[in-house]
Amino acid sequence: MINLIKAELFKLKRNNTFWVLMGVVTVFFALANYLVIIDWWQMHNTGFYNIGLKEYNAMDMVKLPLIFNLIISTLGGFFINIDYTTGTIKNQILSGNKRSHIYLAKLIVFSLGAVITAVILPLITVIIETILLGRSEIYTGTTVMYLLRAFSLYTLIIIAYSSIIMLIASLTKESGKTIIITIIMTIILFVIEKTLVLKYEVVRRIYENSIFYQIYQAFNPSITSNEIGTNILISLGTFIIMSYCGSRIFKKQEIK
Amino acid sequence: MNEYILRTNNLYKKYKEDFALINVNLEIKKGEIYGFIGQNGAGKTTLLRIATGLAFPSKGTVELFGESSEEGLTQSIKRIGAVIESPAIFPNMSAYENLELHRLQKGIPDKKSIDKTLELVGLQNTGRKKSVNFSLGMKQRLGIAIALLSDPEFLILDEPTNGLDPMGIVELRELIKKLNREKEMTVLISSHILSELHQLATRYGIIHKGKLLEQITAVELNEKCRQYLRIKVDDPSKGATVLEAELGIADFEVMPDGTIKLYSHLDDIQKVSKAITKNNLIIEHFSQTGDDLEGYFTKLVGGVDND
Repeated sequence: MINLIKAELFKLKRNNTFWVLMGVVTVFFALANYLVIIDWWQMHNTGFYNIGLKEYNAMDMVKLPLIFNLIISTLGGFFINIDYTTGTIKNQILSGNKRSHIYLAKLIVFSLGAVITAVILPLITVIIETILLGRSEIYTGTTVMYLLRAFSLYTLIIIAYSSIIMLIASLTKESGKTIIITIIMTIILFVIEKTLVLKYEVVRRIYENSIFYQIYQAFNPSITSNEIGTNILISLGTFIIMSYCGSRIFKKQEIK
Repeated sequence: MNEYILRTNNLYKKYKEDFALINVNLEIKKGEIYGFIGQNGAGKTTLLRIATGLAFPSKGTVELFGESSEEGLTQSIKRIGAVIESPAIFPNMSAYENLELHRLQKGIPDKKSIDKTLELVGLQNTGRKKSVNFSLGMKQRLGIAIALLSDPEFLILDEPTNGLDPMGIVELRELIKKLNREKEMTVLISSHILSELHQLATRYGIIHKGKLLEQITAVELNEKCRQYLRIKVDDPSKGATVLEAELGIADFEVMPDGTIKLYSHLDDIQKVSKAITKNNLIIEHFSQTGDDLEGYFTKLVGGVDND
């Protein structure tokens, strides 16, 4: 298993898409944060704004499924699916490791890549910018605690979402299909959020127990301990269920 | 110790309505170079994919190194090196990096094995060149290098000469012979280019339309493919006496239908026919016959098609 994780890390380090994605995310968030910090782009009533971190307002975008999906599905498409398109997945099976281990190692490293690109990079960018632009006074005990809690919960959600993308990528086996399907999925999710959730109690209940609602909860400044517990449980539950399903599918999958 | 490296028992593979494999019972013994012959679409790759765990049989079992359980097969696959269909390589990595990745996957501790393997396949001077820029032959060599990296006991090569130039084909043939001879590596090579296998294989399996038609050793095949003079005379026993007494020939057989198979004097047909006629025998048939691998395969496959 350790060998497989080492091999996946070796691949991630040499994955061009991963590096391009890191560059794009850094530039995008650096620019967005800068525009917010200099007050060119003003937003109100965000979780960050309400806790006294208005310089973080641009980070409110990380909650949007379309944004984080685009980052993670692109990485998934080009990190997971390249194994299928190049046929190197055959070498992995022929390495004599259990398929469940191969799947898990891939998922662990893919999740790591997703956390780096969708969580760590945007966060580091805004921390550096606020310090460089002389706004370090915003970091008080309360705000630091809030950031730690919110981004820890968000990290778990991103890991859970990575397991969904991994499952889709393993089923589609093609990067283009993975990206398109997940974009369609986020659009459908948006429609559900704006229509069905408001109309039907059952849909609302399901939605509130999904990671897509829990993202908003993660950044809620007044989240309770119970809600934190629920948030963690939903993320872990999603990850476990999706990983198990993905692993089962991969185990039965014929490799061409 | 188990004599068989690979055995399939009543193996079937069905894709939707079509059978890709029908009741295949293939056996490969330790130390053999097994030539797996079949036309495109005959079921060669399907069988290799099942044997290496890339696909699953619809019915029947696979036994690798005597193991047929799921756990046992996974463990046994560690002892295999294989190139199935096309070489599986990362295009944005160099030859060295591709091997390093496979080394990590297989948990091979010795990093030096990479350089040794690259040298073995003649890719030691490719440096940092990305494999996307490799020629087809170089990619094929890299695929073979990946298969050889762990020093496998059983090497499976599916159409390995695809993309190789004539020199590359000769080198590969010599390499396979060397690995078989020096490391006692069992080798399974599938190909539809029969002349390639004829110079290499110690045993053949012939597959056609999903059915394994025959498994035959090289010695048996050479026997079957041996050139001979087919002579039919009105009195076969007298004919045999003539061959023995007049020409001093012992290398012949009298078949149950009275046909004489004469394995010598192929360049001296006149002398043979003259001796027969001189003894007042009537020649009903006189021809030189026998097959090469290609002819044998065509006959076998043709026979099935005509059934």
